[in-house]
Amino acid sequence: MITITDLIHTWPTQSHPTLNIKALHIDKGERVFLHGPSGCGKSTLLGLLAGINALQSGQIKILNTDLSTIKNTHKDRFRADHIGTIFQSFNLLPYLNPLENVTLGCEFSKQRRKRLTDKKTDMTTEAIRLLKALGLNDSQLTQHVSKLSIGQQQRVAAARAFIGEPELIIADEPTSSLDEDSRHAFIETLFNQAGDYQASVLFVSHDKSLASLFDRQISLLDINGV
Amino acid sequence: MGYDMTLLKLAIKSTLNRKASVLLTLCTIAISVMLLLSIERVRHDAKSSFSNTISGTDLIVGARTGDIQLLLSSVFRIGHTNNAVSWKSYLDIKERKGVAWTIPISLGDSHKGHAVLGTDATYFTHYRYGKKQHLAFQHGRAFHNAQEVVLGSDVANKLHYHIGHQIVISHGMGNTSFHHHDDNPMTIVGILAPTGTPVDKTLHIPLIAVDAMHKSSHTQPMMIGKKSQQNDHAQHQHGNTHQHAEDNNSHHNEHNEHNEHNEHNEHNEHNEHDEHNEHNEHEEHNEHNEHNEHDEHDHPHGTLDSEPSDLVGSPNQITAFLMGFDSPLYTLQVRRNINMYKAEPLLAIMPGLTLRELWDMLDIVEKILLLFSIVVVLVSLLGMLTTLLATLSQRRRELAILRSVGARPIHIFALMSSEAILITFMGCVAGCILFYGLLLTANPLLQSQFGISLTIGWLSNYELTLLGVIMSAGTLMGLLPAARAYFYSLADGMSIKI
Repeated sequence: MITITDLIHTWPTQSHPTLNIKALHIDKGERVFLHGPSGCGKSTLLGLLAGINALQSGQIKILNTDLSTIKNTHKDRFRADHIGTIFQSFNLLPYLNPLENVTLGCEFSKQRRKRLTDKKTDMTTEAIRLLKALGLNDSQLTQHVSKLSIGQQQRVAAARAFIGEPELIIADEPTSSLDEDSRHAFIETLFNQAGDYQASVLFVSHDKSLASLFDRQISLLDINGV
Repeated sequence: MGYDMTLLKLAIKSTLNRKASVLLTLCTIAISVMLLLSIERVRHDAKSSFSNTISGTDLIVGARTGDIQLLLSSVFRIGHTNNAVSWKSYLDIKERKGVAWTIPISLGDSHKGHAVLGTDATYFTHYRYGKKQHLAFQHGRAFHNAQEVVLGSDVANKLHYHIGHQIVISHGMGNTSFHHHDDNPMTIVGILAPTGTPVDKTLHIPLIAVDAMHKSSHTQPMMIGKKSQQNDHAQHQHGNTHQHAEDNNSHHNEHNEHNEHNEHNEHNEHNEHDEHNEHNEHEEHNEHNEHNEHDEHDHPHGTLDSEPSDLVGSPNQITAFLMGFDSPLYTLQVRRNINMYKAEPLLAIMPGLTLRELWDMLDIVEKILLLFSIVVVLVSLLGMLTTLLATLSQRRRELAILRSVGARPIHIFALMSSEAILITFMGCVAGCILFYGLLLTANPLLQSQFGISLTIGWLSNYELTLLGVIMSAGTLMGLLPAARAYFYSLADGMSIKI
């Protein structure tokens, strides 16, 4: 699924590399917990994986595609097609309702829409199904996003990440703004959805208490040789 | 690609989400667009109505004064002319080789604030305005004798005069003339079609009437030409109208302020009135609202019956005269001769040239107006830029989310710039609506106060160009926040920075 070899990344304003990863491999369907203190390069790694930050040296292969060989515009398309993202908080566009926020996940990807067509469904139907599976009720589907609780907002963000079945889900501390009970419930629903079609999950957090729920834990400090 | 629709939809929803600030920005743009369009429309129409005031006249000749002063007094009836051209000189110059026609003009009298112009029959055949159009009669005909007057259309409309009415000319200008020539009532025999020029605000009388009026007022209070035979019909008609008014007065008190009634009060001393009491047409009084129409139907025959007679008399002097030549080649030659005329100091001007000189004097004013309205538009667009840049930092999160679902930096750029384009476009549309609203409300006022009639047609090519320039400027302004958003989205990557 993901293979990283000899990755070195240095931000232009810094003299030392932020990342220096010899090797990292994540399998299809694997749920990986990546932890490390803030400032250790987690966000940089995610940016590189998503193809937003340009690769400087080394190799990242996702789904057997070498990111260093594809052009920037294709990286954006690749990300749209294959990667679903959940941020820490405020994941939603305030001017779209929850349903529209979810279908936004398909707007920039032909392939995600095609997968829905292959499943004999469409964006809206699938968005409603996902939102309901993640625990939202009918009236919440079209109300203003600011009326939802933070937990509900994160569920909508998860639904957007999952719609159209991208192979990789990147979650960047999605539970940090949730309370203890909600965290476990959220991760459970995340795993349920990912399990449905064998998506890989890369879950980044500094909260080690969640680590036990995952197939594998990786400490960025351990693999990062800076 | 389908992305375009997605982006446009996002741009619209995002814009609507910030209704308050967007609406304010839109308002300032709309008002500035309205201002620019209005100023340009007034400027353009004022210029064209100005330069259309007189045409087809090769020379205007008057006593020696300034070029522009002569033009203003002879064509625009602005300012007073103390000096005059002697009738002898007029006759002399009129006979020069190559002169096709001349129109004598005598100014200086007024009727209820409207200029009175003494002339002869050539005025109605040779005076031209606009695109060399001749004067046309809306009602009636040219004057035939010293007791007849032809009105410009504004005079007739404003004072509610109709063919057959009798009016009194005052000596001197303005409403407050001390001396009224009330011993010399004149019958309205013609009303000219609207021209959009000072002709509309002018009463035209024969030269002989000017002469007679002044002689009577200066020598003895005689009633000049009062009982002349030609006038009999008209007076007969006048008595008839008066009867209406009197009946209205006695039977319908609510019509006391009827215009005609007022008019007739001025004539109450006239002894003819009593002679016509046998005219009782009571059935007409039931329709006193259409009273004016009755006059129109009843009177034209009587007034049109007079025979053409001498219109000139023996004037000593006139204010100015207009000249047309067989060939324009004569113009410069004759002009030079007139400017060096030995018998008295005269000035000949070419109206087209002087009109342009006059407009050039106003040029700086119109340039400043244009500059101001452009600055107002610019300020409103800068206001939009400020708003967009101010909200940009709050929107970095939004941009990161869009990037995460696969939007390219160029999409972010398009999203941000389309918002500026959208606001500018809506501002232009709203500005046009306001512009037409203003045009419709201001037009009657401008028409009555300044004689500028605005064209209420579709936007001219020039105005569309102006809108195009505003749209381009708005788009350019939008590029700035869009470019910033573009670089934010590159730098921020996937991380959300607040």
